[in-house]
Amino acid sequence: MFGPPGALATSRRLAFADGLHDFSPAMIATAAWSVVTAVTTVKMGFDIPHALAMNILVYAASAQLAVMPLIVGGAPAWLVLLTAAIVNLRFVIFSAGLHPFFKEHRLSRRLILGYLTSDMGYLLAIRRWSGSGAAEPGGSADEAMTTRTWYYLGLAAGNWLTWVSMAVPGTLLAGRVPTNWGLDFVGVLALTAVVVPSVADKPSVVGAVVAGAVSVMARAMPLKLAVLAAVVAGVAAAIASERSGRPRRP
Amino acid sequence: MTDLHLDLLIVGLTAVTIVTRSLFMIVGDRLLLPRRLQQGLRHAPVCALVALIVPQVLTSGADLDLSPLNPRLAAALVAATIMHYRRDMLSAMCAGMMVLFALRWLV
Repeated sequence: MFGPPGALATSRRLAFADGLHDFSPAMIATAAWSVVTAVTTVKMGFDIPHALAMNILVYAASAQLAVMPLIVGGAPAWLVLLTAAIVNLRFVIFSAGLHPFFKEHRLSRRLILGYLTSDMGYLLAIRRWSGSGAAEPGGSADEAMTTRTWYYLGLAAGNWLTWVSMAVPGTLLAGRVPTNWGLDFVGVLALTAVVVPSVADKPSVVGAVVAGAVSVMARAMPLKLAVLAAVVAGVAAAIASERSGRPRRP
Repeated sequence: MTDLHLDLLIVGLTAVTIVTRSLFMIVGDRLLLPRRLQQGLRHAPVCALVALIVPQVLTSGADLDLSPLNPRLAAALVAATIMHYRRDMLSAMCAGMMVLFALRWLV
């Protein structure tokens, strides 16, 4: 799957292991969010089987946290699904950024790669790939895409395995996990540590400052629309800064 | 709410996750983005994570708390500074949590 059989098996395995290894610092953040989400699911009144199914299948912490009160309150299904879609809009932007890297794959594989996309997985993938454009130096284009895909799957596996392995005990032990002792802030600090090395050049600093400012100014917006606004404004600012930073051609 | 209804909702929500996260990978071949926009999108995940972090650090309830004694702000700044200079996640997080607990206890 995801590449020719046989000779490339080793390079695929190496790329996968590479991705899994690169994701390891981000596991603390994923683990913290997973426990927080799982505990919240049970405390909202969902039974254990449904809480497990939701946390493992839906696999979208912020969307789940947004729709749970609606489900408990008996809101119509279309409203629940629409709410989840709006909260997930930043991933629509991410999918546009990922498309050039994976466009040679057939649709079913693109859907799998999309489903497994996380904020941090995408961040770490882009950190490795940026600069090289859609092609990696050395080897054929096919080979480069196979390596890239398996690296991405390694990152995704790191996130998925951490999420599921914390969601199960989080759900089963929810009654005994005290909230409000700062676990959510462990997640915030871990995210901070993951994001800092990516804020390295001028466009990324400009993008991060603008995104941070917009996220605070727009914080009253519902459904994580503040995050979407921050991404749109931050990317626009980063592009403008790239343009102004480039030396003028004579 | 019946069990069947909830089962179907969970299936629907899973479909929403798949479709939103893949959308441009589904329609992207028919919808070409300008090159500069396409390249600028590599900044999207940094912006998203910053936007998820900053409000949790700078606000308590609905109010902005920009005081340097805001435990969350001080903790995040210390963690970010250590990460920037030492690239060591564990010491960044430990220092951040120590600052958080120290300021919560003192203030």
